[in-house]
Amino acid sequence: MTEFSSDVIDSPVAGELEDFSTSQDGAVTQKTSSVAAVAALSTAVAACGGGGSSGGPSTGPGTGTTPPPPTVLRPSTDAEAARFILRASLSASPGAIEEIQSEGYEPWLDRQMDIANDVSAEQFFSSRGYDEVNTDTHYFNTTLGDNMIWNQLLSGNSGVRKRAALALSEFFVVSLNGVRINWRSQAMGFYWDSLNDRAFGNFRDVLEDITLNPAMGVYLNTRGNKKADPNTGRVPDENFGREIMQLFTIGLVELNIDGTERTDSSGVPIETYDNDDITGIAKVFTGYDFDNSTTPEFPEPSGAPFNVPGVEFSRLPMTADATKWRNPKNQDFHSSEEKSFLGTTIPAGTNAEDSLQLALDALFNHPNVGPFFGKQMIQRLVTSNPSPAYVQRVAEVFNDNGSGQRGDLRAVFKAVLLDEEALSDTGLTDGQFGKLREPMLRVVQWGRTFGAASESGDWAIRDVSDPTNRLGQAPLRSPSVFNFFRPGYVPVGSEAADSDLLAPEFQIVNESSVAAYVNFLPRTIEGTSFWFGDVKASYTEELAIAHDASALLDRLDLLLTANQLSSTSRDTILTALNAETVEESSDTETKLRRIHIGVFLVMVSNDYLVQK
Amino acid sequence: MFIDNQIEISRRAFMRRTGQLAVAGAASSYALGLAGIGEAAAFNATGGYKALVCVFLYGGNDYGNTLIPYDSLNYGRYSAIRGGGSEDDDISIARESLASTVLNQPNDQVLTDDIRYALAPTMPRLKARFDQGVMAPLLNVGPLITPLTKAQFESANTVAYPRPPKLFSHNDQQSTWQSFQPEGSPTGWGGRMGDLAQSANTNAMFTAINATGNAVFLTGENAAPFQVGTKGAVTINGLERPRIFGSSAARDALETVLANSGGHVFERDYANMVARTVEYGGFVNDALDSANVTTSFGAGNRLASQLEVVARLISVRQNLGVNRQVFLVSMGGFDHHDGLIGSHEALLGELDFAMDAFYRATVELGVADRVTTFTASDFGRTLASNGDGTDHGWGGHHFIMGDAVNGGQFYGTAPHVSLEADDQVGRGRLLPSTSVDEYSSTLAMWLGVSPSELPSVAPNIGNFANPDLGFMQL
Repeated sequence: MTEFSSDVIDSPVAGELEDFSTSQDGAVTQKTSSVAAVAALSTAVAACGGGGSSGGPSTGPGTGTTPPPPTVLRPSTDAEAARFILRASLSASPGAIEEIQSEGYEPWLDRQMDIANDVSAEQFFSSRGYDEVNTDTHYFNTTLGDNMIWNQLLSGNSGVRKRAALALSEFFVVSLNGVRINWRSQAMGFYWDSLNDRAFGNFRDVLEDITLNPAMGVYLNTRGNKKADPNTGRVPDENFGREIMQLFTIGLVELNIDGTERTDSSGVPIETYDNDDITGIAKVFTGYDFDNSTTPEFPEPSGAPFNVPGVEFSRLPMTADATKWRNPKNQDFHSSEEKSFLGTTIPAGTNAEDSLQLALDALFNHPNVGPFFGKQMIQRLVTSNPSPAYVQRVAEVFNDNGSGQRGDLRAVFKAVLLDEEALSDTGLTDGQFGKLREPMLRVVQWGRTFGAASESGDWAIRDVSDPTNRLGQAPLRSPSVFNFFRPGYVPVGSEAADSDLLAPEFQIVNESSVAAYVNFLPRTIEGTSFWFGDVKASYTEELAIAHDASALLDRLDLLLTANQLSSTSRDTILTALNAETVEESSDTETKLRRIHIGVFLVMVSNDYLVQK
Repeated sequence: MFIDNQIEISRRAFMRRTGQLAVAGAASSYALGLAGIGEAAAFNATGGYKALVCVFLYGGNDYGNTLIPYDSLNYGRYSAIRGGGSEDDDISIARESLASTVLNQPNDQVLTDDIRYALAPTMPRLKARFDQGVMAPLLNVGPLITPLTKAQFESANTVAYPRPPKLFSHNDQQSTWQSFQPEGSPTGWGGRMGDLAQSANTNAMFTAINATGNAVFLTGENAAPFQVGTKGAVTINGLERPRIFGSSAARDALETVLANSGGHVFERDYANMVARTVEYGGFVNDALDSANVTTSFGAGNRLASQLEVVARLISVRQNLGVNRQVFLVSMGGFDHHDGLIGSHEALLGELDFAMDAFYRATVELGVADRVTTFTASDFGRTLASNGDGTDHGWGGHHFIMGDAVNGGQFYGTAPHVSLEADDQVGRGRLLPSTSVDEYSSTLAMWLGVSPSELPSVAPNIGNFANPDLGFMQL
C-alpha cells in the first residue's frame, strides 16, 4: 500500500511527552449553520427521478386529463428499498425497508439525517473512563481509537449520519497511525465527532474544523508550524498548504462542472496551482499550536518525573494565541508577510485568524470544489464511475442548494443518493455501475445486521489493517492522507482498466488481501476471532427462521445484498444450507452453524462484494 | 462480454481442486499457455538467472540528510542552510558524526565544487559495500522528459520545454517514478521489462513479484505482479481443509461461490484475483517449503522481512520456473515534514540493515552478481528547513547494489549545496541532472533488454544522449 504519511513510525516511548498546548471553551464557531436548506432539492429530485427508473415514482391511479398531484418517489419492492438503504446507511433492516416504502425515499432520508449521534466518541471515552489520567496510560493508547470507531460504527442509531461521516473521513483523512501525541485516540474521537456533527452541515465549516483539529494539526504539521526566520533559514512547512489544496478542496487540475478535466489548447490538463501557490498559502497555516488554556496538568501517575496533561486540549481547535499554549509565549509565530496564492492576495500584516478565514474562503469558493468533492462522495456511496451528468447534478447542488447556499452537505448527500442514475435499475444490469464494498464496510454491515455487541463493553477490537492476515482495512487507519485508495485508481492489468473504468477500492485488492478476507470471516462471524472476539453477533432474528433454509437465505440476500445474489450463488448456498439438518426444535448451536455458513457464503460471493 | 485469455485460463484452472495442484508440484502445468508470451528477439536471456529488486522509499526521501556534504566548504553551506547551531531550527547532522561513513571516491573522480560526501551515520553497512565496490550512489536523479535547465523550467514555453506533470505531488510522482506517467498510468517499467523477460521463464506468471502494496511499477502489458506476504503467498484456508464450520458442503460451496462471477466487470476482476490466489498461491508456498536461506534478516524490520521473502523466492527460482525476475519491496514514512532529525536517520538505519542483509543473502545463495537492488522514491525534498523537517522536492540521490554494480564511485552530477544555484528550482528542490529514463535503461540493459527495445521500458530515453549511465557491468 502506498504509505507516505509523515508518521508511520509506531509506538512512541511512554513518558516521551510532546510539547503541546490548548484553549478554553472549545466552542467551535459555526459559520453557516445550514440545517435550514432541506427542502430545496426535493422537487428537482422528484422531477428527474422519473427518467429511466423502473422503481420510479409510485404514481397513484392517474386520471386522463388533470395532472397528478406531486408524488413522492418510493421504492416499489423490498429489494429497491434495501438497495437504497445499503448506500445511505451502514446496514439494512426489515423495519427500515418497510418504513422507506411507506414514507418514500426523500422523507425517510430527511428523517434519518435529522437523527443526531446518540453516543459521541467523547461520551464513549468518558463512559469507559478512557479520558482519565491514571496508571492505565490511556493518553498513550492508540488502540482505544480502534475501540471507539468500531463502537461508533457497529452500534448506535444514526447509521445515515455515520455513513456520511465515514465517507468524509476518507476525504479529509487523518489516520490513527500518524497522530503521535498524548491523547491521540481522544483527538481522533474529536475529529470523528466533528465529522458527525457537520456531516449534514456546511463544507466550509468542515474545512475550518479540520484545519484546526488537533489530530490534523499533528498529522499534517500545522501544529507548531512557524513563520520564516531569515536568521536560521527556516521557511514555513508546506504540508498542510499543499494537501488542503490537492486533497481537501480543489485537486491538481482544473475541472469542468461535470468533473471532467479542463485542457489547454494543446489538450494538456491545466494544473490548478504551482509551487509558488504552495509557498504562498503555506504562510497561512503558521503560528498554531494546541490550546492548552483549560488543560490541567497531572503528576505522572506511576511516579515518573514529568507531568501529564489532561485530555482537554485534544478536544479544542488549535489556536494562534501563543499565550494559550502549553509553553505560553508572548510573541506570535504567524507569518505577517503577504500571502499570495491562486490569484488571492492576503495583505502583509494580516493576522492568523483573518488570514485563515480569507484562505479557506478562497479555497471554498474555487469552482473545482463541487465536482471534485461531489464525485468522490458519489464514488464512496454509489458508484465508482458516475456519468459526467451525475457529477454535474451533484456539483450544481454543491454550488447552490436551491436557496443560494454553497457547500450545503445535506443537500449534496441527498443529491448523491437520490439521483436518477443511482435509483435507476439499469445500474443493476449494465455490468459497470456500482462499486466494490470496502472491507471495513462489510464488517460494519455484518455487525449491525446481526446485532453485534461488545461483551466487555470496551469494544476491544484491535487494528485489523494487515492485508495478509486480517481485514486489510481499518476505519480511521488509512496508511496515509491519500486514503486507503485513490479516487482515480485503475487496477492495472484488469478488465476494468481495459474498459477505462476507475475502481478505487481495488487498490487494496491483491492476491494476499482477497485470501486474507476469506480467512478473516469465519471466526469473526462465529465471534471467536482474536482480533474481533470481544464483539459477537446475536443472530436473534435468524435463529427464529434457521430451520427454514430458504427463508434464511431470503433474509440474508435481502439484508446483505438487496437481493443481488445471482441464481448460481443462491443455488450453491442453498445446497450448502440444506446439507445441515436443522429442525425448529434443534439446539441453538445447530441453528447457528447453518446461519454462520449462510452469512459466510453470502459475504464471500462476488455478487455481494460488488454493490450495484 | 470481455474475457481475456489469461482470465479464461485462470478460471479454468481454478475449477480444479487445490489438492491436485499441490500434488503436481513443480512439474505441474503451471506454464499453461503463458510461457513464451514475450518477444525473444527483444530480450537476451542467456547467462543464467538475473533479477532486479526495486526498494521504493514511500514519502519522498530527504536527499540532504542521506548523502551529506563532508568537506568543510560544502558542509559549511549545508549547515548554514539547515539551521546548523540554531536553537530551534537545526536539522543538520553534526559533521563529527560523519567521519566513519565518508565515501571516498577514486582520486580521479572530482565532483561539483570538490564536494565529498558522507552517508548518514546510521548507514555504516552501505558505506562498507561502497568501499567493497559493490554499491554506487546515483546523484540527483528524477523524472524528466528531456534534459532541462532552470531557465527552461521557468519558461512559459512548456511545449518546447516539457516537464513532468504534477511535480511535487506524492501519488503522482510515485507513479511517475514507477511508470513515467502520473497517477492512473496503466503500466510501469518493471512490468514492461517483465513483458520482455517473460519469454525467459517457464512460468511467466512469476516474472514480477510484489512483496508490498499494490503499485503500478510491476504491471506490464502482459506481466501482472504476483503479490506475496512476508511469509509467502497468502492462501485461502477454507479451501485447504475438508470442512468449513464442520461442513464439507460449505467448503464445496465456497469454491463455487468464489469462482462464480456474474455480469459485472468488477465481479470478474475480483474473481480473477481470487483465482490467481488459488491457482498460484499453493504452488509458490510449495516451492518455498524447500527454501533455505540462513542469513539473518533481524526482527521488526519491515523492509528486511520483505527482502527475506524475496531472497527465499530467489533461492527456489528453479522450482518456480523463472530465469528473469523483477521484484518490488518498500518502506514508508519518509515524508519528513517534521521529525527529520531522529526519525529519518532511524529509517535510513533500517534501510541500511535490510539492503545489507539482502546482499549477504545473495552471497549466500551464490547470486550476488545476478541480483541487483536499487532504490527509488517519490521525490527528493527541499534543502531548506521548515524548522523540524523538509518539504516536497524533485531530484534526489539513490543507491544501486550488487556484485554486477561498478561500485565504489559516484554516478550522475553532484548538485551545488545552494538555494540559488541553477540546479535547483527553489528552496533546494533539485532540478534532476539525470533522468529516471536513464536510470531504468541502464538497469534494463543489464537485465537483458536489447537497446532497440529500451523505449518500451523508458519512453523518453530517446531524448537523452546515452542510455547507459555506466554503473552496471554490461
